[in-house]
Amino acid sequence: MKLSRSAALRVGLIVLVAVLVQVSVVAQVPILGGRANLIPVAVGALALLGGSLTGAAAGFVAGLLLDLAMGMSLGGSSLVLTSVGYAIGRFAELRDVSHGLLPIAVAAAATLGYDVAYGAMTFMQDIEATVSVLVLRGMLVGVLLNALIALPVFALVRRIARPLVAEGRFDGRRRGRPREAGPIGLRGLGLGGR
Amino acid sequence: MYPDRKTIRRRRAIFGALVATSLALLTVWFGEPAGGALHALQRGAQEAFSPIQTGASRALKPFRDAIAWTGDTLSAKGENDRLSDEVGRLRQELAATQTARRDVEQLQGFVDIAREGSFPQGTEPVTARVIARSPTVWWSSVQINKGTGDGIEVDQPVITGDGLAGKVTSVTSGTATITLIADERSSVSAQVMPAGADGIVRPKVGNPDDLLLDFVEKGSRIRTGQTVVTSGFSSSRGLDSLFPRGVPVGRVKKIDRSELDIYQTVHIEPFAELKRMDFVQVLTAAQPGARAEVPSQ
Repeated sequence: MKLSRSAALRVGLIVLVAVLVQVSVVAQVPILGGRANLIPVAVGALALLGGSLTGAAAGFVAGLLLDLAMGMSLGGSSLVLTSVGYAIGRFAELRDVSHGLLPIAVAAAATLGYDVAYGAMTFMQDIEATVSVLVLRGMLVGVLLNALIALPVFALVRRIARPLVAEGRFDGRRRGRPREAGPIGLRGLGLGGR
Repeated sequence: MYPDRKTIRRRRAIFGALVATSLALLTVWFGEPAGGALHALQRGAQEAFSPIQTGASRALKPFRDAIAWTGDTLSAKGENDRLSDEVGRLRQELAATQTARRDVEQLQGFVDIAREGSFPQGTEPVTARVIARSPTVWWSSVQINKGTGDGIEVDQPVITGDGLAGKVTSVTSGTATITLIADERSSVSAQVMPAGADGIVRPKVGNPDDLLLDFVEKGSRIRTGQTVVTSGFSSSRGLDSLFPRGVPVGRVKKIDRSELDIYQTVHIEPFAELKRMDFVQVLTAAQPGARAEVPSQ
């Protein structure tokens, strides 16, 4: 899908605001040993609305902004959030995304994916320090908090990113034909469906 | 409508390009020195973001405070009991300290001790507001609203009113990034007082309320409740600790003594509230003639 200029600007604006609000406000409010994280939620919402390319691009830009703003390893968050956005976008392209509670599951999955992948990447940097099991608690609380804020954040993102909706990425109904039940084996040859 | 092969190829190519760009950025960033192009770009971006972050941080402070107040109220009762015990203990310590202080004052008249530049002497605290935090679960860094224009330089120690918080790892003219002592790369040479047992304070990553004092000799007598301060070592080879001597780090809360280990591991509860700091002080190098002040916050 090719984004219009207006849609791209809105996606950029959403990502920029999400990163700034996250690092300046939300990250400074610990709740039950964890913190909410708007960034994977916003990337997940954009991916759900715009598909895999929009998700990957939004994830890349969000990660880059985050790494630049916080002096973190440049490219690390981009790598993780690009993958998260792309995966959720592919999910939206292949599955029925009309269910009203889907944002909760998507926000939780995006947060968990981000935390686990970022943690794995940190371990790959050969850290010598002991890792507390409270990291798991932090992740769990983060996932729960993000699931709680998912519906309002998705509603807000959807409202701002209307051009994406208008361009047909998320019209509340299943897109495309259902899979055809062709003869076994023909799908692999491109004859039996997708 | 299903995407055609061209669309699929394009989608994969763009995703691959974004991933490859991220990997290239990571590789170059780790490979280049601190003065390299990407690090300079990062400093420029931090400078550009800082007014927005400062504004957002200030404007939304009431919101943060409201949520923090709720949490504080829930934990206030337990905290009250603990503090009552602590006040009783501190009264006893105060009496002992005042006696010791009088002794020291008398002894200083006899012995001319060349005092080394210890905390806070030789340093000039610069108070700064925390304007941003890294959002990961690792509690690794914060950003403050003071930079080179205020005398802040890389590797300077950072404290809160309670104790050591971290060190400056990146600085622009108006902002600085503080790597906290809870970051996985942090290590601080420290001593348990009054025994003087030496060790290295390392984080327990993901739990900023639990630091580990490693490499403490087994014979050292350490008790829970004792205070850990920076040791501020210096060697004849010019290898000096970044942290001045005597900055409080935390309180001993548990000691692991395993039969198999050569060293004992001491668990420390840091004095600084690393999860919730609004202000910090950077211990900058004192200018000649400047008056070193005891930090009040």
